[in-house]
Amino acid sequence: MAVEPVLTIEDLRTYFYSRSKRAFIRSVDGVGLQVRRGETLGIVGESGSGKSVTALSVIGLIDAEPGVITGRVGFRVNGTEWSLLPSIGDHVSLAEEDGRIVEVVKDNRGWRRKVDRLMHGVRGREISMIFQNPRVSLNPFVTIGSQVAESVLLNTGIRNRREAAEKARYWLEQVRMDSPGLRFAQYPGDLSGGMCQRAMIAMALSSEPSLLIADEPTTGLDSTIQSKIVELLDDLKKAVGVTTVLISHDINVVARLSDSVAVMYGGTVLEYGPADRVLSPDFLPKHPYVEALLESIPSERHIKDGLLPRAIEGEVLDTVNAPRGCRFFDRCHRITNGIEEKCRDLEPDLAEISAGHQMRCWLHIG
Amino acid sequence: MSKAILDVKDLKKHYSRSRGLVSALRGRDVVIPAIDGISFYIRENETMGLVGESGCGKTTVGRSIMGLTPITSGQVLFDGEDLSVLPPSRFLPYRRQMQMIFQDLDAALNPKMRVRSILREAVTVFDRPGNEGVDRRIRELLDQVNLKESKLTSFPHELSGGEKRRVGIARALAVGARFLVADEPTSALDVSIQAQIVNLLVDLQRDLGLSYLFISHDLRIVELISHKVAVMYLGKIVEMGLAGSIANRPLHPYTRMLWSSMVDGRSLEGSPSPGGRGTWGSLDFERPQAGCRFASRCPVYRDRGRPAVCTDPSTEPELLDVGRARKVACHFPLQ
Repeated sequence: MAVEPVLTIEDLRTYFYSRSKRAFIRSVDGVGLQVRRGETLGIVGESGSGKSVTALSVIGLIDAEPGVITGRVGFRVNGTEWSLLPSIGDHVSLAEEDGRIVEVVKDNRGWRRKVDRLMHGVRGREISMIFQNPRVSLNPFVTIGSQVAESVLLNTGIRNRREAAEKARYWLEQVRMDSPGLRFAQYPGDLSGGMCQRAMIAMALSSEPSLLIADEPTTGLDSTIQSKIVELLDDLKKAVGVTTVLISHDINVVARLSDSVAVMYGGTVLEYGPADRVLSPDFLPKHPYVEALLESIPSERHIKDGLLPRAIEGEVLDTVNAPRGCRFFDRCHRITNGIEEKCRDLEPDLAEISAGHQMRCWLHIG
Repeated sequence: MSKAILDVKDLKKHYSRSRGLVSALRGRDVVIPAIDGISFYIRENETMGLVGESGCGKTTVGRSIMGLTPITSGQVLFDGEDLSVLPPSRFLPYRRQMQMIFQDLDAALNPKMRVRSILREAVTVFDRPGNEGVDRRIRELLDQVNLKESKLTSFPHELSGGEKRRVGIARALAVGARFLVADEPTSALDVSIQAQIVNLLVDLQRDLGLSYLFISHDLRIVELISHKVAVMYLGKIVEMGLAGSIANRPLHPYTRMLWSSMVDGRSLEGSPSPGGRGTWGSLDFERPQAGCRFASRCPVYRDRGRPAVCTDPSTEPELLDVGRARKVACHFPLQ
């Protein structure tokens, strides 16, 4: 495809140092992804798989400062290219003893300053983000209208307050807020969760960003409201055509909205490819984890056959003691005698198995 | 046919929100009818699913049955005995037969007790089996919920979500419960763990003959494991029937709306555009609708040109038997 990528992530690694465990928590461990203009990339994974930390690393919003953050994040709009990932190396010193890291000393303020300088003009303006909990993300003491208008003033060329308010109203209409004129003057507490999420989306879109990152935009909302938000995102995608990274644990949401999908597990991408291939149970080959994951969600098929979903035994990977070999080794049901040793001792690469479809599994890359 | 283990008759639970002394004296306090007269029964070895949007009163139903919140009126019959009028001393023998699995994993377990103490407390609360008996019983419970013995020395915060849920289930079984209220048992869990817990609940039902009231907003899971399903809207049951028929041939417009709102929604017969746009108000107990509570969001009401019968306060639709073990509260049920 000739469309240029807006966002390119290469070998991103974000480790947090845990004092009590005296070890690094490898939240993101070598992730490489690409988002093309107009495309929606879905990132699916269970909690702790590193999907949110990946997004936060890209946008420079990691709260607890990481011990290590490396890799390359390229962001390209209209010929301008930003390299978004600051090197934390200058701000961290590792105290080692017998080759073991015993203490990590961080210059958090210096690092923060560097990140903020780097993100100036990008975060909020070129890259917007929608967060999981809309009520917490909105300021409870400022009316919905003022919050959207503030985003317009800060992030677009509009400097006139009245114009900004008009623009804000326009975006509230775009996200199909019911009676936008009334909502404009209301506070977040007066709105339902679904309406708050609409306001968040309006705010995120008001800067007309080149990239929208939506982190669990439907989680925590009622199922009836969820489907409305998904419908809205789907329509906005068609109408506005904004390039989106959609992060969710809900496979149905991701399947509905994404063009391509990355399935994450234990800080790495296990399968990456077109959504209709990766998330369709009928498309083969599949990564054993993705296969099991699709099988564990109650679907139409289970109901028709009166079968219970098949559970994936075991627990979600803990990223402190990541295994040497494949991260899914302990829970995998497809290991054969021939490859067992390899699976246990050697981590497979994310390799292309067909055009645009990558997989990290010894079964398929042999 | 096995007999009913639980029979709920015209259960009501009203909360009042105080607006201050003056209003109270004038009798103008706001009354919120969280449960407004619901009746159902559950047979032995049966699972009833209770679904509805958040705030519709599902959890309050569970808590009222368990006696965790005093009810305003109505009856809760367990094995034919009305629990709501029993004195505390006679309530206890029933309490050990009915237990609840709470929604919040972390709030349900004491963070300062190890798993062993949590289970020991539950095992010894009604019986005194002696140290050896306690250990045997705890091992038996671990085996039933499929939890490793090494976890006995862990504190709740050291457990994963699935393990915490298993401890919660083991604790409910420890006293010998026959009936469990499972309040959103899977909602706080990871996708791959949800299926483990659902399968565990189904296995336990088969092995121990348990009955469940399964409260959830996950319609697929409810449809899969329930024998019958009740759909709640604003404190009332609007439709009730066998799980498969509720899901595939909903009669109440709200039921159809719920099932077709699933993101991977199936296309139900005769529902081209489920719900339509702009019909989504939020649940509002404080400004109750006169007549049918659902009218303001109801596509049928809108399509039929707003018939007066739907909003007439004197003709609120009642839950009527329409045959084939099906009940629906609607003036214009779908066909």
